[in-house]
Amino acid sequence: MSNDLNSKYFDLDDSDDIQEFYHSRGWTDGFPIVPPTPKAVRACLDWVMMSANEIIGIEPVRERAIDAEKLAINAVMAGCLPMHFPAVVSAWMAMLKDEFLLHGTTASTGGCAILVILNGSIRQEIGARSDFNVLGSSDRATSVIGRAIRLALINILQVSPGAIDRSTLGHPGKISYCIAEDEENSNWPSLAESRDIPKEASAVTVLAACAPRQIMNEWTTKPEEILDTYAAEMRANMRNYSIWSGNYAVVMPAQHREHMRVAGWGREEIANYLFEKARIQRSEWSTVGKGSVIRDKGDTEYCALSSPDHLLLVAAGGPAGGFGAIIPPWLGTKSQAVTLAIGACVDCEPTAASQPE
Amino acid sequence: MAIRVLNPTSESMVVAFEPAPRLQSLKGKTVGLISNGKEGTTGFFAHVDRLLRERYQVAEVILRTKSNYSAPAEDEIIDDAKSWDLAITGLGD
Repeated sequence: MSNDLNSKYFDLDDSDDIQEFYHSRGWTDGFPIVPPTPKAVRACLDWVMMSANEIIGIEPVRERAIDAEKLAINAVMAGCLPMHFPAVVSAWMAMLKDEFLLHGTTASTGGCAILVILNGSIRQEIGARSDFNVLGSSDRATSVIGRAIRLALINILQVSPGAIDRSTLGHPGKISYCIAEDEENSNWPSLAESRDIPKEASAVTVLAACAPRQIMNEWTTKPEEILDTYAAEMRANMRNYSIWSGNYAVVMPAQHREHMRVAGWGREEIANYLFEKARIQRSEWSTVGKGSVIRDKGDTEYCALSSPDHLLLVAAGGPAGGFGAIIPPWLGTKSQAVTLAIGACVDCEPTAASQPE
Repeated sequence: MAIRVLNPTSESMVVAFEPAPRLQSLKGKTVGLISNGKEGTTGFFAHVDRLLRERYQVAEVILRTKSNYSAPAEDEIIDDAKSWDLAITGLGD
């Protein structure tokens, strides 16, 4: 396998010099970076058995090829170790699918971030946690994987604020937005399994996602009542943000999951219930100051989900507390969630990099 | 001892197309407007249409609207654009 690197290099004096060199060129997210040395970058490429110039995919709107070397440089800068890099590569492969509409999601004034959800044994191999504080800096692995997504967007596709990124507000998930599902403490099939990934495989799911909207209900054990709270938050999002149906992620903590388990509710029952309950009529826009665009469609009913299987139900969160979250999609079905197995190539020939030397 | 570090940005920019020759005048020309279809485009492009005809003596203004304002224009619109002298794309946010 060739590991010749093609990027321009710089010989700098010390760590301080490196930080200022990268910050001053707009190559960071504002935080310090790990110096992307050739040794560290090669280690990432070796881990995934890719050559430097291997194409991860092509951003379809601007027709920009993303190669493994540039992705590895940004992953190292984000703090990734080689073992984190397969998740970054697979997430980018998923993001580059046509149905994800990467350019629209990253350029929009809507300001979404890319949520990465990890499933499978890779979670344990890299130490990704899915319990306490799961939606914010819960562990090293998810923090650096999420950050690698953003740094690569900034540096490879010029998705910097004010350049390609035209977000009015953005949200903190743009720094890093990666979580792992708590498969061990859930009696459901994993999210990836529910999206046709074999149980034995590790996988990533990517979603162009708004900020989490937290809910709380600790005063009932009935699935219907617990889910009514989630559905109410989805309806609020439909009124206040976007009425269009799309992939909503629901992060459900252990306490709520236990009530579901006792009542015999699984993914299917939960999704069906939210599909029925997360609906509003367009006339409800009049209650939130949007009456001028109701027009003659006031009686039209809109559902948060085009179908129950558009729900991305994720088991995650600390062991105690009736706190869950809905994570709305960026904008209806314009961008669709994509799930890919990590390390799998289902439609390509073996590469030179995967052959024995 | 110096530390060697790598450039994280794209370095090989492939130019996908050559820009069309610039027009010397808009008089008598056909101008296409490609709208992203957002709420604000109706009034905005109506105004652009009027300006083009009144101020620049444009012969014809053709308005086409994308079905998805976050995605590139459909092939049919690109095909139509081949018969225009000039295309203007824009946002209506």
